[in-house]
Amino acid sequence: MSRQHSDDEPRELSSPEQFVFTPPIDIYETDEGLVLYADLPGVSVGSLELQVQDNKLTLLGKVEPQIPEGARPLHKEYEVGNYLRSFILSGEIVHSEIEAKLANGVLRIFLPKAPKAEPRRIQVNTG
Amino acid sequence: MPIFRWDQSWNPLRDLEREVDRLIQGVEFTVQGIRMPRQYPAVNIFELEHEFLITAELPGMQVQDLELTIANGLLTLKGHRDSPVVDNRDIPEERFRRRERTFGEWQRSISIPDRISDEHLSAEFNDGVLKIHLPKLEEELPRQIPVSSGE
Repeated sequence: MSRQHSDDEPRELSSPEQFVFTPPIDIYETDEGLVLYADLPGVSVGSLELQVQDNKLTLLGKVEPQIPEGARPLHKEYEVGNYLRSFILSGEIVHSEIEAKLANGVLRIFLPKAPKAEPRRIQVNTG
Repeated sequence: MPIFRWDQSWNPLRDLEREVDRLIQGVEFTVQGIRMPRQYPAVNIFELEHEFLITAELPGMQVQDLELTIANGLLTLKGHRDSPVVDNRDIPEERFRRRERTFGEWQRSISIPDRISDEHLSAEFNDGVLKIHLPKLEEELPRQIPVSSGE
């Protein structure tokens, strides 16, 4: 870090990237797939990384410092940091069709299931 | 339990009295021990050259569901977060594989210092983070007091 820390400024405030939180999530299943919601306050579309590799979905939300330089903390009840969480996807999820949307600090991911093969009737012809 | 560490200007005695009242009311005695209440949302307060800044993380809130009011030295934040499945009420509980997020109504009041200008409060809500700007009052200039002789 090139930035100087002043003596009266707590270290964790001046370098929030050292905190990594596990964001709370909801997952529910529909007939079409799985829907996942994650609370990521402070994360913008540009600072969110979603990756699927070897059946593992990883979300990394980076929080940009939002407090102006020189602000003096008077009272602190929560810490600010990045968000990291990963999930193992079942084989029935179609990776190429995963959709994600981020609004007001909430990420919604839709994980579509591969359609089940319908039973197919085989016509038997008489000889 | 929030411990308010205001400057002298934040009227520490008033804050202390309020905090002690809140402590006594909110403490729960459980089999595991004493459980301290935690207020929602958690807030951070900063002082800048010309203003105080209050921040709160409120992911999933809509601006129209947020209500900020100021009265009698108290700034009150109020709102509600609806479950995202409201538009799909037919999703039964057993369809959920994980439920870690919370929903519902909340309200929180924060005492504000006497030396802010509550006429010019402003707030912004971006990416689920609320910022409330409380501008400081212009410092009054030193005033000369004329002294008359007792003649």
